Amino acid sequence: MLELRGATYRYAGYARPAIHDVDLALADGEIVGIVGANEAGKSTICLVASGLAPASIGGGLTGTLTIDGEPMAGRPVHDLAARVAIGFQDPATQRSGITGTVFEEVALGPMNLGLPATETIARARAALELLRIGDLAGRDPARLSGGQAQLVAIASLLAMRPRHVVLDEPTAQLDPEGTRLVADALRALASAGTVLLVAEQKTDLLDTLCARVVVVADGRLVADGPTGEVLGDERLEGWGVEPPSRVRLARALAARGLDPSVVEGAT
Amino acid sequence: MSGPQAVPAVQAVQAVPAVRVRGLVHVYPEGTRALDGVDLEIAGGAVVAIIGQNGSGKSTLARHLNGLLRPTEGSVEILGEDAAHLRVAALAARVGLVFQDPDRQIFARKVRPEVAFGPSNLGLRGAALDRAVTEALEAVGLGDQGGVNPYDLGYSRRKLLAIASVLAMRTPIVVLDEPTTGQDLRGVARVRAIIESFAREGRTVIAISHDMRFVAETFRRVVVMRAGRVVLDGTPAEVFSEPAWPVLASTYLEPPLAARVGARTGLGATPTEAALVEAVAARDG
Amino acid sequence: MEAPIGLLETDDATLVARLVPPTPSPYHRLNPTTKAVIATVASLGAFVIGGYVGPLAIIGVVLACAAVAGVLRRLVRVSALFTLPIAISVILVSVFTRAGTTVLFTIGPFDATLEGVDFAAQTLVRLFAISTAISLFGMTTDPRAFVLDLERRGLSPRFAFVAAATVEAVPAMVARAGTIQAAQRSRGLDTEGGLLARARGFLPLIVPVVLSSLTEVEERSLALEVRAFGRPGKRDLLWCPGDRGWERAVRWGLALLLLVAIVGRVAGIVGATV
Repeated sequence: MLELRGATYRYAGYARPAIHDVDLALADGEIVGIVGANEAGKSTICLVASGLAPASIGGGLTGTLTIDGEPMAGRPVHDLAARVAIGFQDPATQRSGITGTVFEEVALGPMNLGLPATETIARARAALELLRIGDLAGRDPARLSGGQAQLVAIASLLAMRPRHVVLDEPTAQLDPEGTRLVADALRALASAGTVLLVAEQKTDLLDTLCARVVVVADGRLVADGPTGEVLGDERLEGWGVEPPSRVRLARALAARGLDPSVVEGAT
Repeated sequence: MSGPQAVPAVQAVQAVPAVRVRGLVHVYPEGTRALDGVDLEIAGGAVVAIIGQNGSGKSTLARHLNGLLRPTEGSVEILGEDAAHLRVAALAARVGLVFQDPDRQIFARKVRPEVAFGPSNLGLRGAALDRAVTEALEAVGLGDQGGVNPYDLGYSRRKLLAIASVLAMRTPIVVLDEPTTGQDLRGVARVRAIIESFAREGRTVIAISHDMRFVAETFRRVVVMRAGRVVLDGTPAEVFSEPAWPVLASTYLEPPLAARVGARTGLGATPTEAALVEAVAARDG
Repeated sequence: MEAPIGLLETDDATLVARLVPPTPSPYHRLNPTTKAVIATVASLGAFVIGGYVGPLAIIGVVLACAAVAGVLRRLVRVSALFTLPIAISVILVSVFTRAGTTVLFTIGPFDATLEGVDFAAQTLVRLFAISTAISLFGMTTDPRAFVLDLERRGLSPRFAFVAAATVEAVPAMVARAGTIQAAQRSRGLDTEGGLLARARGFLPLIVPVVLSSLTEVEERSLALEVRAFGRPGKRDLLWCPGDRGWERAVRWGLALLLLVAIVGRVAGIVGATV
């Protein structure tokens, strides 16, 4: 259980808060998508939910982040890291740059936690297998496709066995193949019971991935509910979010008085 | 239309293709054969999308159009002139290339000088330069941000700034490398509007994109690349129609939902939402 | 691209064995710290002892080690390339400007003296000894193995990160600079033109390189932090280079040898004539 309560966060050096009074609770086993226009506050919510803001990047937070009932305020980042992991857009800058193989890269997190080597190996192995990239173990992490590199970055987080994972637009920099690889991996992750918070522009992806979606506009949560309901909300475009293709198509047909059911089953 | 460096006027070039690529092969120094015999002719005023997965050669092809890369074999002609005889600085007046990552080019501390850099390199000065900058900023929706530090803008607006900085060069050919990456609904709509205004002005637009719906709804011609070759080339209706699906799938591309619905319900090639709606209306109405 | 297969069908020992960089020769197999000590003692030794015999003997030993490691030709080529620019300036400056009594030949207002030639030759021998010693270390030691070895000896992993990341950052920055140059040339920046045109292009090239490097460092350190990199305390390393009792003896022996050389030099028993 990860919970943000009344979270208002201001980046260091800025007068205005980037998010206002955000309440967001993620129950165990839940996958929640965040959508919103650019600069609406999606990334900020990700940083605050992972504790990096303010623990690592400074700035001012009012309100609380609690994980499994424990307040996270004042904890060092390495302590947060084992409870909630965060992944970013660009796979290249998430690579440590100090490892020669994918296996070593994935093992870096658990090793940093000070675990015995046998446990580190077991965790790295399990993370690679969960994302079905065991065949990449011996590869040079600097020489992977974008999609593969993003999977390695996610596996590197999973190896730390966090109960919560936050991903900020994990497919934004990827080509269609990479997007599909990551989408499949996220589904595998969901079925493994990890709590997942995913910010995405690609609503078609969220539509098939999560049961619940929240919308952020101008730094505030303006909608929170079942995926079908939120992504089908008439106000979505007004919030700067592209509705999923099936919603747009059905709407376009209905607008002409045609039967929108033709869309069903083609996704 | 053109700057002081003599560039043929847009109307005059309609007779010759804007781009003519013949037998283009490019092998990088480390041995990667990024282009493996590309033949491509793009008419003046055409609006063309190039799609394909990363590594298929799209960006390598784009970099040949303004001479950043030179052919290992084959030739590139721009507006009827062999690009091999022109320096990059001269080709820049003919072909404006917008790179994918705006942070690889933004250097000025204010938005306006950033946009002015390209056209002033082409020799534009004074009031004409001011006008070019203002128009370009207006076109991308940054008209009121001229005095802002580019790094105070978010990523998507920096990306629009990068487009404006090439737009201001008023080149007859514009090449955009993944203009919609990282853009939201409004950003994508903005990019589409920019491309449509290019088309109205008679400029040739070539864009690389991973967004199939954007491609189907914005472009009149779609070129699909795989492993350094062109494997499909046609209208969106042709490229996204069912017979072409196996080729698309071989390069991990999926047609937009409208095309899939059209094919599944026997309505034929409906690459866009509008086309699908029309097809359903024709059947049911 | 083939679809991911998924399962990791190897046992732990094989996985760990794959992390170990290849050691194609007995010299490669030496502990990285031993190789670092050899390079340091050889370099400092050549510098301290001076003259001809000492540095030439050191070069001989280093080249013999390189032959064992199978990198002799590459080593000589790299060291020569490395030494060449410095060598030229040393020769020009010392041959013609060093005062001496025995004039060998004259060019214009400059006299080349025997003393000058002698000094230049000695400096060259020293320089070559130092560059071969350092190159030998670089060519036979995996940087990751070295930092893990240092970590095992008690050095902070943060130092290890800075050292290894610096090595990795260079090619990334070169690639980034390439893209930036391409982007600015596309905006009409003339990098093929005259000096003035190039000078004009300095800021548009350097600003994005600096800014994007800073952003990358920031993003990367954040990504490392979330992987508990800042946690204090020891890590249980998956592997680290082996060390052997006799290597320890060799290292101490070499250190002692260096000490003797320094003392001898100070006392005027061994070494240079200049």
